Amino acid sequence: MQQQLLLVTGKGGVGKSAVSAALAIEAARRGKKVLTIGMVEKRGLAAHLGVESLSYEATEVRPGIFALGIERPAALDEYLRIVLRVPRLSRIGPVARAFDALASAAPGIRETVTMGKVLFETRTNNWDLVVADAPPSGAIGSHIRAPKTVSELVGAGKVREQTRWMEDLMGDGARTGLVMVTLAEELPTVETAETLRWISGEGLIGVAEVITNRILEPLGARIPADLSTPIGAAAALHAGIFQEQQRWLAQLPDRGRELPYLFGVTGPVEVAERLADVLEQR
Amino acid sequence: MTGPILVTGAGGVGKTTVSAALGVAAAQAGYRTLVLTVDPAKRLATALGLDELHNTPTANKMLPTLWAAMLDSEASWDQIARSHAPPDAADRLVNSEFFHAITRHFPASQSYAAAEAMAQYLDDRKWDVVIVDTPPASGGIEFFTAPTELTNLVGGRLFRWLTGGAIPGRRELFNVAARPALRIVDIALGSDLLERVGAFLFDLRTTYDGLRTRSQEIEKYFRKSTTIVVTTSDPAPVTEAARFFKELPQVARPPAAVVFNRTLPTAWEKAEIPADTTRPLARNLALWAREARRQETVRDEFAARYRTRIVSIGWKPSAPTDLESLAALIDETGLLADLID
Repeated sequence: MQQQLLLVTGKGGVGKSAVSAALAIEAARRGKKVLTIGMVEKRGLAAHLGVESLSYEATEVRPGIFALGIERPAALDEYLRIVLRVPRLSRIGPVARAFDALASAAPGIRETVTMGKVLFETRTNNWDLVVADAPPSGAIGSHIRAPKTVSELVGAGKVREQTRWMEDLMGDGARTGLVMVTLAEELPTVETAETLRWISGEGLIGVAEVITNRILEPLGARIPADLSTPIGAAAALHAGIFQEQQRWLAQLPDRGRELPYLFGVTGPVEVAERLADVLEQR
Repeated sequence: MTGPILVTGAGGVGKTTVSAALGVAAAQAGYRTLVLTVDPAKRLATALGLDELHNTPTANKMLPTLWAAMLDSEASWDQIARSHAPPDAADRLVNSEFFHAITRHFPASQSYAAAEAMAQYLDDRKWDVVIVDTPPASGGIEFFTAPTELTNLVGGRLFRWLTGGAIPGRRELFNVAARPALRIVDIALGSDLLERVGAFLFDLRTTYDGLRTRSQEIEKYFRKSTTIVVTTSDPAPVTEAARFFKELPQVARPPAAVVFNRTLPTAWEKAEIPADTTRPLARNLALWAREARRQETVRDEFAARYRTRIVSIGWKPSAPTDLESLAALIDETGLLADLID
């Protein structure tokens, strides 16, 4: 993937944060300076990077990997300063609160603030790669569409003026790409297919890759006749899951790299590193 | 019946399957049972008798004591507006893009819609057992705190943020010039938006009294509820499960049990491998045995830490999608008897 910004999404529970961390680790191993961003839910990404929590200031968490977590008040503050072109607004508090109240009711504004931070960071060119652990697929649409929603909603305000470059950066397939993470199971597959259909219909962002997670290798042997023994039962379970996975994989309209099921791995950092190993090879 | 059975946990762990399985088991035991579910897989919906998207309870043709309904939060919100706001305000609300933005994107709004539907069916007293497959939350006990959150939001938090103080009359809100903060927002967004949102908030506020009363009734049901937490042995859902044990006692009874879905047999961990076993099969068992050991450690740590009943459901290659195999999932565990006495 050559893009400068990767937005990593997927249904809840598919391993979005682990894959985000793995993509960052793999790029850093290639010598890239990487920023990872926890956009909404930050704990998962922090755990996979081996830190307690993410702060709003980009902090180096591993060699070559910086991380930040978007906090809405701070992001709103920064956004308003940029939008209003005021370097120092002494009483930003009441403005931010009033703005936030409006944003609770007006569609797209909150999401624009969050997406705005990700896009601002990408635009600075401080980073070779920005990996955003984005909202789950159920909420990604409203984030991707946010600048457009806002420009349809508001007339001539300064917020609207900011939406154009955001749409341009997001829509530039050479710079920005969506990474869909999925499992080879019914609900994640259905949701992934629906999201991909929506994405291609809207044409606001390109898809960089569909990564399937926790995929089993073929059993490589015949299932024994006796399923009452552990050998037989484990073989049957493995083959059964493998078959079910292949069935759902075949229904995905678009497939990139496969990541393996990691047997017996306990630590979130080890998970991210092992997945990075595989990303490196494939 | 005493109160609803609330099935909670992180997304993707099999909450809907466990809710359905509990429902089938209860219905087969002769209880008139209602399962409220959010987003079932197609085959599971079919098993429950939900061939189409039914927002109202539908009886299962194969098992008439089992009823199921899908929770459609958008439709529920239109109904909520109509039952709590005066007719003209309700008309404006359901047609307002702002109303749809709030009901779709405010984190607690889907939870609230589900909770209000739950309360409505409990009021009907038509069912012995009501099982709620709680909607995906932004985390933790949101389903339980949603009524208060939403009442506060509607009741004036937005207003006070917008006006910086007490709730104003309609006229004062638009007096942008008098409030520097609003003037800046106005420049940022354009005054037309400020005015439209202001008018919307006035309409929204008419639902406050109704929402507050309803929320208190819902919270009464929560205090009588029995919660079970579903998880797998993976770190993220286990962390989420732990939050319920830490946070739920603030608002309701602590979880009655934690269900570990996709559990592997502990017997695999120390299984002897017969001498004539082929290499791929021996290697396969070794992998799964390692995973079984990891899972057991996670369960043991959870049990020691939260001193709760642990129910294990075995890992099946595909989720069960017919009534018999759904019931079998729960029958083995004896969980139903613990929840309904």
